Amino acid sequence: MAMLDCKEVLDNLSNYIDGEGSDVLRKAIELHISRCGRCRVVFDTTGKMLKIVTDAEPFEVPLAVSARLYARLEKVLAEE
Amino acid sequence: MFESFSCNDQSDVQDDRRTFRRLPIMVEPSKMTERDGPEDDLLLVDRVISGDRRAFESLVRRHEQRVFRVTLAVLGNSEDAEEATQDTFVKAFRHIKQFRRESRFTTWLTRIAVNEALQKRQARKNTVSLDEVAEAEMKVLPHRSQQWHEDPEKLYGKQEVRMMVEEAIRSLPPIYRETFVLRDVEGFRAEEAAEILGLTLPAIKSRLLRARLLMREALASRLEETPTFSKRILVTAGKMRDMIAIKLMQAVGQ
Repeated sequence: MAMLDCKEVLDNLSNYIDGEGSDVLRKAIELHISRCGRCRVVFDTTGKMLKIVTDAEPFEVPLAVSARLYARLEKVLAEE
Repeated sequence: MFESFSCNDQSDVQDDRRTFRRLPIMVEPSKMTERDGPEDDLLLVDRVISGDRRAFESLVRRHEQRVFRVTLAVLGNSEDAEEATQDTFVKAFRHIKQFRRESRFTTWLTRIAVNEALQKRQARKNTVSLDEVAEAEMKVLPHRSQQWHEDPEKLYGKQEVRMMVEEAIRSLPPIYRETFVLRDVEGFRAEEAAEILGLTLPAIKSRLLRARLLMREALASRLEETPTFSKRILVTAGKMRDMIAIKLMQAVGQ
């Protein structure tokens, strides 16, 4: 496979991170980022960003919001 | 898409190849599947259809967090998200017999949630115009090229990292925020996110790429490594040495 340029590599960043793409394409991407400092940082930090998001505790529904939801549902279910 | 991005200019890149490591490959959302117990969802749906209303309460408890987060992602404010969340569960209850089990219950329910939220957004004339979409797409370029700290929680603590993530998600344009939240926060597969948002798979993947790059940019200012003092001195000394060399060469007429 011909050498990829930065644009081609970045267009495939998301798919690469998700483990998609053929072995040939993935190897070509890895070859590029082993030689291109800027793409390497973009790939590495995008991976880190996803890990941070995945590790962060998700936003919780405020208790008052939850209470109003159950109150409305109770009313609706009683009427049905 | 990335016309102005090139590796020719590497002046601001930390080029320490020893720091390169294989990226953490995103695993398909098995975590979510285990946590949700789709089989349990189906049992609960059966019980609701047969008239057991407590089973519906169980379904609400299992899914209220996700439904609220998704509607918040679409609408961008808590008040509207709360209303959309309530309407989602009311609609789900009334139409539960129409759930055909071709997809997971979670996907079916989230699609209702997204539709409710989109309708509210439209009603408030808070729609995203095509111009805004085009503008948002043009802006998505990776500008920052500094490495990040290895462990941000050591720098900021769990709570602050969580707030940084929420703030970064809020800063995304709506079309990217909803895609990012479905795929990377709630763990839906790209195919499921496409089904929920009524988009094609290539469109979802394109938005996801841009959303991830925007999230990276949004978090970068807080997470980039600051060059150490000694590194700065070396860089400054190197620049001064080059300037002196140039001046000397100019002085001797070369």
